[in-house]
Formats: sequence, C-alpha cells, structure tokens
Amino acid sequence: MSKPKSKAKPTAGDAVRAKKQEKLSFLARMEYRKMIMYPLVVFVIALILLAVNFPTLGIDLRGGVVVTAYGVNANPDELAKYISDKIGVDVRVESFTGVETSGVRVYAPIGTDPLRIIDAMKEKYPGAEYTHSEVQPTFGEIAQQQGIRALAFAFLAMAVVVFLFFRNLVPSLTIIFSALSDMTIAVALMGIFGIELTTATIAALLMLIGYTVDSNILLTTKLLKRKEDSIDKAYLSAVSTGFTMSTTTLGALLILWIISTSQTIDNIAIVLIFGLLADFMNTWVLNAGVLKWYLTREAVRGGKA
Amino acid sequence: MKRRTKKLLLNWRIILLTLFLIGSIVTLAVRPLTFGIDISGGVALVAQTEHPVDTKTMQLVTDSLQKRLNTLGLRDITVEAQGDQIVLIKVANVTSPEEANQIKSVIESQGVFYMEFAGTVFGTGNDVEYVGIYKINPDNSWSVPFRISKSAAEKFAELAKGKAGWPVDMFLDPPVNSLMIVPESVYKTMNSSEFNANAPEAPTLLERITKAFNISVVAYANQSADEIVKLAQGKGRIVLVDVPGELQTQLEAMNITVRYVPRAQGESDHALIVRVLGLYGPYSLGEGLTVGEPQQDVQITGSAPDRLTAEQEASTIYTVLKSGSLPVKLNVVGMEFISPRLGEGFRTQALYAGIGALITVLLIVYFHYRKWRIAIPVASTSLFEAIIILGFAALIRWNLDLPSIAGIIAAIGTGVDQQIVITDELLGGEKTTRISRRSSMLKRMGRAFFVIFASAATTIAAMSFLLVYFVGTLKGFAFTTILGVLIGILITRPAYAEIAKYLLGED
Repeated sequence: MSKPKSKAKPTAGDAVRAKKQEKLSFLARMEYRKMIMYPLVVFVIALILLAVNFPTLGIDLRGGVVVTAYGVNANPDELAKYISDKIGVDVRVESFTGVETSGVRVYAPIGTDPLRIIDAMKEKYPGAEYTHSEVQPTFGEIAQQQGIRALAFAFLAMAVVVFLFFRNLVPSLTIIFSALSDMTIAVALMGIFGIELTTATIAALLMLIGYTVDSNILLTTKLLKRKEDSIDKAYLSAVSTGFTMSTTTLGALLILWIISTSQTIDNIAIVLIFGLLADFMNTWVLNAGVLKWYLTREAVRGGKA
Repeated sequence: MKRRTKKLLLNWRIILLTLFLIGSIVTLAVRPLTFGIDISGGVALVAQTEHPVDTKTMQLVTDSLQKRLNTLGLRDITVEAQGDQIVLIKVANVTSPEEANQIKSVIESQGVFYMEFAGTVFGTGNDVEYVGIYKINPDNSWSVPFRISKSAAEKFAELAKGKAGWPVDMFLDPPVNSLMIVPESVYKTMNSSEFNANAPEAPTLLERITKAFNISVVAYANQSADEIVKLAQGKGRIVLVDVPGELQTQLEAMNITVRYVPRAQGESDHALIVRVLGLYGPYSLGEGLTVGEPQQDVQITGSAPDRLTAEQEASTIYTVLKSGSLPVKLNVVGMEFISPRLGEGFRTQALYAGIGALITVLLIVYFHYRKWRIAIPVASTSLFEAIIILGFAALIRWNLDLPSIAGIIAAIGTGVDQQIVITDELLGGEKTTRISRRSSMLKRMGRAFFVIFASAATTIAAMSFLLVYFVGTLKGFAFTTILGVLIGILITRPAYAEIAKYLLGED
C-alpha cells in the first residue's frame, strides 16, 4: 500500500545522491599509496608548524588579567594607548563583534588591578558593560597540567574502546592515528590563526575525539563488514554519508560562531571547524587508503574477503 | 496507511521518546533551568591552599569559607573542593566589579589567626571553639563573646597573671619570620607605647612581634638593596612598607621574596601598621582575667564614636574569630566576574545560536536529500534531544554554564551525524526486491547501530575521565556530553530509526 508513495519521491533524492557520489568518486579512484602519503605529509607539516609556532596559551593557562567591555566600539590601538597612559601598565586591546553587540577585550599582565582598567575605561565609555577575570600563573600551571592529562586520558580511553570494538590492529591503529592527526592539525591551525589554547579550546579538542571516531568507525565498519558491495562501492556510500555528516556539522558550527559573542563558544566552534576539516581528509583519504591497502593485501593473501 | 501510523505510534521507542519529551517539558515548566555564573552573572573564584592538604583539612577549609561568606550576608554561595589544593567558590547575584573584588579580598584575607600576649602566642584560630553573637550597647560600646580551648586558657592565665590593662593582640596573617623595612615615623610609632592599651610599662608592639613572630623591624635610612639583604639573613621574606618602590624590583632581581605595601592615600602610621601586621586590637586586658584562673569564656570589648562604626568593628572581629580557624592559608589564583546584564545577553544569544544551528541543520540535510521528510525528522529529533537534556538538567538542578552548553552542542552534533548514518543505511540497497530488502535492511540497521554504539562508547569513555578528574570548568562539559550521548543512544536514536523507517516507506 505504501509502495506508490515511497516510490514516487525517492527518485529526486536518488539523483542528488548519485550526483554527490559522482562528485566524490575522485576519492575512490585515488591510488591508496597517495591516499596514505598526502595526509601524512600534511601531518608532518602540522608538526613542523607546531614546533615553530605553537599557539599561545590563554590567560586561564598562563595567568594574566583580562577586562571585557561590551557595547564599546573603539580602535584597539588607540584604546590600548589610552589605557596604558592612564594606568601606567602596558595593555593589549582586541576588538570583537557579534550579531547584537560589539566590544573590546583588554589584556594586562598579572598583578594589574582590573578595577583600574575599568575605571579608566568608564571615563570614556560609561554606558558599557564590564566583566573581568584574572588568573595567577600558579593556577594556570595547574590548569595546564590538568588539561594535558585530560587530553591524554581521553585519548587513551578512546584507543582502548576502539580496540575493543574492532579487535583488529591495523584498522584500530589507523583510527587512533587519524584522531591524533586531526588534533595536531587543529592545534597547528590555531597557531596560524592566533587562537589561544585555553580550557575552552581543550574542550573543543576533546570534542573532536567524539566527532573523529564517528566518521572513522563508520568507514571502518562499512569496509570491514561489507558483505554485499565491492570495496569501492562501500567506500563511496560511506564517503557520501560522511560528507553529509561533516557539512551538516560544519554548517551548524559556522552559525554558532557567527551568532555568539562569547569567546568560549566562539573558540570552541572555530577549533571544531578546523578539526572537522582535518578529519575529512584523515578519514576519507588516509584511513580509507590504509583500509584499501589492508583489504587488498588480505585478499591477495587469500583471506576471507 | 492508517495501520502503519498506528503501529508507529504504538512502538515502544516512540512512546518512550514521547514520555521523556513530555516529562522534560513539564519539568522545565515547573522547575526552571539554573545557570552557571558565566551566564547568570556573578563571580567565580579559584583559591589554592598554600600546600596540598588531606580530605579532612579540606573539609575544614570549605566549611569555614562557607561560614565566612555567609556572615558577610552573601547569598547563593557554593564552595566546592577540587582535588587536594583547589577550592572553587561561586557567588551569584554579584552586580558590580567592585563587589566582586571585595569578595576576593575577603577570601584572601581569611588567614591564620593568632592570639598573642606579651610576646607569646597563646592560641591560634584552632583554639577558638565558639563565637557568640556580638552585642552593641546604647553607648556604642560593643562586645564579642567567644570561647577558647582549655589549653589556650591555661596558658593565658599563667601569662596574664597580675597584668591588668596590658595589651592583648590578635593577628590575622602577620608576616611571620620576616624583615620589615619601614619609614622612620612608622618605626617610632611601633616602638612607642601607642599600641600598649592601658599599660605603658608593657613591651612595645615592636618587641612583642619580634618575640612572637620573629619579625625584625628596621627603619629605612636609604640602605641599599645589598645592605637590606644582609639584614634579612635567615628570614623568609622582606616586607617593604611605604619605602621607594625601586627597592622591590632590585630585591626581586636578587631572587628574594618581597611584599611591597604602599601607604594608601591619607593613611596614618597607625592604620598602616595595623594593616601590614593584620593586627586586631590591641585589647586591654580586663582585671577578671589577671588572677591566674584559666577562663575559657572570654570576650573582646571596644567602643566606637557612633553606632555604625561600632557595628562594623564588632562584626569584623566576629567574622575574624569565626573564620579565623582556617587551618591553611588560601590564595585566590583565579577569578572571573560576569555582570548579570551580560549573562542575560549570553542566554538569549545561546538560544538564537541554538535555533540558528537547528535551522542550518534542517536546510543542509534538506539540501543533501531533497526531502523534507528526512530533513524535518532529523532537525526535530535534535530539538527533542536538546529539550530532554535540558529537562534532565533542570530536574537535577545542574547549573548550565557555557562549557555545559558546549557539551550539549557536542552531543547534538554527534546526534545529527548518527541520524545521517541511520538515514543513509536505510536509503541504500533500493534496487533489490522487497523480501531481500527487508532482511538486508535489518542488517543495515544493525550496522548503523554498531557505528552508533561504538562512537557513543568511545565518547563516553573519553569524557568520563574528565568527569572524575578535576579540570575546572570542563566538568560541566563532560557531564552534558555524556548525558546527551546516553539520551541519544537510549531514547532519541532508536525513535528516529523508527520514524525514518516509517517515513521512507521501509516497514
């Protein structure tokens, strides 16, 4: 009874899907050696970038004073000079805009009294809304240690669970490496774009673990458990699903980034965007390449495939 | 058609989703969400103990902090110990940056308390057993009754015998074991009988602190940094009081711990001394205590020119006594103040951002499949998921802070991903006959759920470390992520699979 209805509409969707798969088929045609090599090159470049230009630590990891004023529209350099003259301490000013408000963030070295900065600014902008925070270097150090520990443990836990699910050395190791590479590339991009490493961005890197395993597990499951399709067909169906997944998430994150003026949310969104872009390559090129190589080798060996 | 619809609606997965959804909406209606400081406004402070302490000591610290902040008349305070060194203090309803800083200084000034007489420490904060309600008399004199431990009382009785009118001093965090460099006039004041209550013959304040706390005081006479260092041999640190500031830089360059105390505008020598030493008093020793009999119930009295000052003086002593029993010194190592008005802005923004993200998901999913019958269920399942997470948060009174919201976003993000996995598995293999399609569909669903469970398990495993281990604000993030993932795999994903099967004509 339902047949007419279910038959009538899918055609349009099928065409879209076929088109998408066709567009992505260049990935399927790629030789696995190249598929493995290119992402590895990117990974090495990211490592070099990290060595040269590691992202700066945010004040919550390093210590410092920051005053945020909302409802202020000012030239950062002029404002910095004004405040520095007024309070006798060198400050750095950054401006930001959101949908509803714009504002500035004033960074000052530890030991500066945030109230003096606020007082100085209030003379110029009495109507603005002020918030401030300060972190001592000792706490920054603790937060750093905890952050590193959180990342390391989360990563290990992820690795263990992946092993338990697949019980297969090569695919599991590839997923783990792919997650590592995602994070490395995301952090390298943070360095390039001047995004600070803070507890919020560490949270984003942790989130990345969740997103990374999603797509990698999808790919690995499809390729290892495929019974009815060829490797290429299974790969194409997986990559088109993955493409949908990534673009949807990227779109939502982009909106989040545009709308929010909260630095925490902004930074989380942008780091996730970096990571998802890296993940697209690492999953659908690197991981797929390794799996292709692994499966053809298994087949040659006279394995089950 | 109707039978299919009925079957779908009676499916237990759908019923479960509906029940949770209704439950969440009801919960949200009767018990509104509570927000963290970074959204509702207020001040969050991170304090660190001087050295790592055991659980029992930590408990003492948090109790006493809570008590102290309560006595200040602040409401909505949470004090939470994290690990063996960190205490997290959150105070809501703080409206100005000045007020926020005041709370900070209150916590920092909370220190180790000493009671000293004639150069001997006879009790510390731990000896204060009970503090009574202070009393203000019509003539603006005041008194704060309190009880000291038996050992302190005995020690004191012996020291105080026959010394009526002598000064009793109380200190909160005096600069123990240090060298103080002070201006000539300050030195003279300390070495005079100005701080001797009613007994000029008693040792001067300078003599008392030297004997009790190993504090040496030197008048500043243009000594060089090197000379000062020589004088400070064997001391823990140097305290510079109202002397040229460059001494601080010079001494710090020599790797010496320096505390620099400038004179506040219009501050008298007396006030400056009191501030530097953390001195309360001196209080004149009443006759009743000088007969050599140990007395545990004692009181501090004073008088002020007007009622307001009397009230202030009494309440200061009251809070110092009450909270002075802090077993270890606390430093505020981090603070964040968010004005409530801004928090309001964040909340609406988070709402807009959430709605915006949802619409984006709807549009992009439509763009991929060109079918509203996929796009709408995917987007609404995400919305349901968000409602259920929020309902749960309201139920357990979880304070939603920005990291918690990030966690919800993360959970919903993976949720959308997984719905797409389900959809694509359902859409695959359409060319086969209906019978084989049915069996392969089951296989496909099994595969989709294998992916979903595997990724859910990894996310939960990764996040549970965060939940157990302290990482400041990341706890909220871990909690909502795990909650969202659990709600996803247990409630929303199975229901979505049923809805998708129904809408895509797979039965």
